[in-house]
Amino acid sequence: MGESDLNFVSGKIKPITVGIVGPESAGKTTLLGAFYLLLGKGTLTDDANLFSNSYTLAGWEAVATYLRWKPGQPPSFPPHTPSGAARAPGMLHLAFRREDGSLRDFLFADAPGEWFQKWAINEQAADAEGARWIARHADVTLLIADRQALAGPKMGTARNDFQLLAQRAVAESRGRRLALVWTKGDVDVAEAMEAQIRKAVASHSSSVPEFVVSVSASGMTDAAEGFREVFDWVLCTKRAGVDLPMTEVIGHDPLFRFGRR
Amino acid sequence: MAAQHTILLVGESNVGKTHYGAQFLKRLMVKSCELKMTGAPTNLEAFTTALSCLTEGRATDHTPANIYTESVWPITDQAGRYAELVWPDYGGEQVRSLVTQRQIPAAWRDRVIEATDWVVLIRLHSLRSEDDLFSRPLQSFAAGEPQGEAAEYELSDQARAVELLQMLLYLAQFNLDRPLVKPRLTILLSCWDELETTEMPADLLSSRLPMLWSFVRSNWVSPNVLGLSALERALSMTDADREYAIRGPEEFGYVVLPNGARSPDITLPIQQLMAART
Repeated sequence: MGESDLNFVSGKIKPITVGIVGPESAGKTTLLGAFYLLLGKGTLTDDANLFSNSYTLAGWEAVATYLRWKPGQPPSFPPHTPSGAARAPGMLHLAFRREDGSLRDFLFADAPGEWFQKWAINEQAADAEGARWIARHADVTLLIADRQALAGPKMGTARNDFQLLAQRAVAESRGRRLALVWTKGDVDVAEAMEAQIRKAVASHSSSVPEFVVSVSASGMTDAAEGFREVFDWVLCTKRAGVDLPMTEVIGHDPLFRFGRR
Repeated sequence: MAAQHTILLVGESNVGKTHYGAQFLKRLMVKSCELKMTGAPTNLEAFTTALSCLTEGRATDHTPANIYTESVWPITDQAGRYAELVWPDYGGEQVRSLVTQRQIPAAWRDRVIEATDWVVLIRLHSLRSEDDLFSRPLQSFAAGEPQGEAAEYELSDQARAVELLQMLLYLAQFNLDRPLVKPRLTILLSCWDELETTEMPADLLSSRLPMLWSFVRSNWVSPNVLGLSALERALSMTDADREYAIRGPEEFGYVVLPNGARSPDITLPIQQLMAART
């Protein structure tokens, strides 16, 4: 789904846009693929949020297909998302029907990691238009910390990159929801490193929710659980609305709600 | 003032559309069901081959991909409600190509817009269930070399079913702001005998195709899910089934009602659609 198709969804009501921000090969597309696989199993959400429709089923299938077993081929990870010249990220759409019967649209932005890396260094970078787009429009930001990179041979660079990116993302989020998602949760990271990463996002607010996800089940925990927790958190996003004052009145006619205090 | 029930019968190839049509017609002819035929059907061409095969106890051939015929059956139910049932027969490949090619032939567009009731046939037994990272985790990721080329993929069976319904809804210009009352949706899980299960039809659908079930449940007010075994047993195309030849095909076949009860009257799914109308 590209920019021009967005009218389909956003013509009705502004959908909730979820930006997934992280460096290259941190697992952004895999995170989306995992969401979709769980949706296909019916375990992503419960009855309070029933899957209703998606304009981008083929797109979801494309990101999830790599995580499936195919004859003679084990699952792999989705290939690198190409950056190309596009100025807006690819969008994946899902709509859920809530218990009160209303529909809620979500858009997940799948953007290449290079955009964010360039954006982290230079906010005005010419080829970071897509990253700026996400920062401007995302109602929810999932900041991805790649545990494998943070424990790998280039951990110093990874830490530095993340700190830059976190700083930028936090500054741009301006109070909108932000969560820290540790991907590749099966990899051990030095505690001091974890602390540094937390510190990088802590300037946002003292309590940034944290999630750990991994596609490989470690020990007793179900691999799906981590993804489900992230998704639940995304689902409970509300756009700041207008709170109408509720007044205690006798009688049911809403016309007489006001002015009878 | 006859209510016209145009059934949009949707099913991919090999789900048993023709067999169901033929058995339905046979039931109407021998008057062993809730619904009664109150006149002569218009055109039985599509079902004559199937009927004669079944009478001998053989399965009928695959309907050619490019064929689409409609047959109009005047029927009444026990309560005296009269309806004209428009029953289609066609090669199931047409349905698959709707989704894969993302193009709707004009003829299909008209059908979808005219249809009052949608009946979707799904043969669970022939659907692939794919393993993925969650159902069968990888032990080590070292082997997972990134693939250079974007691999070919096709939609999973479940996604294809959802996509098909989404396309039909779009075509018929229904919007999903509120759950739909019309068109009424009936899902028939065909070839129920193959599944060898005692589960309720809806439970089975929710466990096998949870995304589809969620889609259906969230977008229709009262979707109906039934099991259908039009033939009751697998028939071969060459060797005749003796018992079929002796007792007649109308003695075989059953539906599994939403409450799990079995009934030999395979016209019940349609009868329920008619009854719900008034």
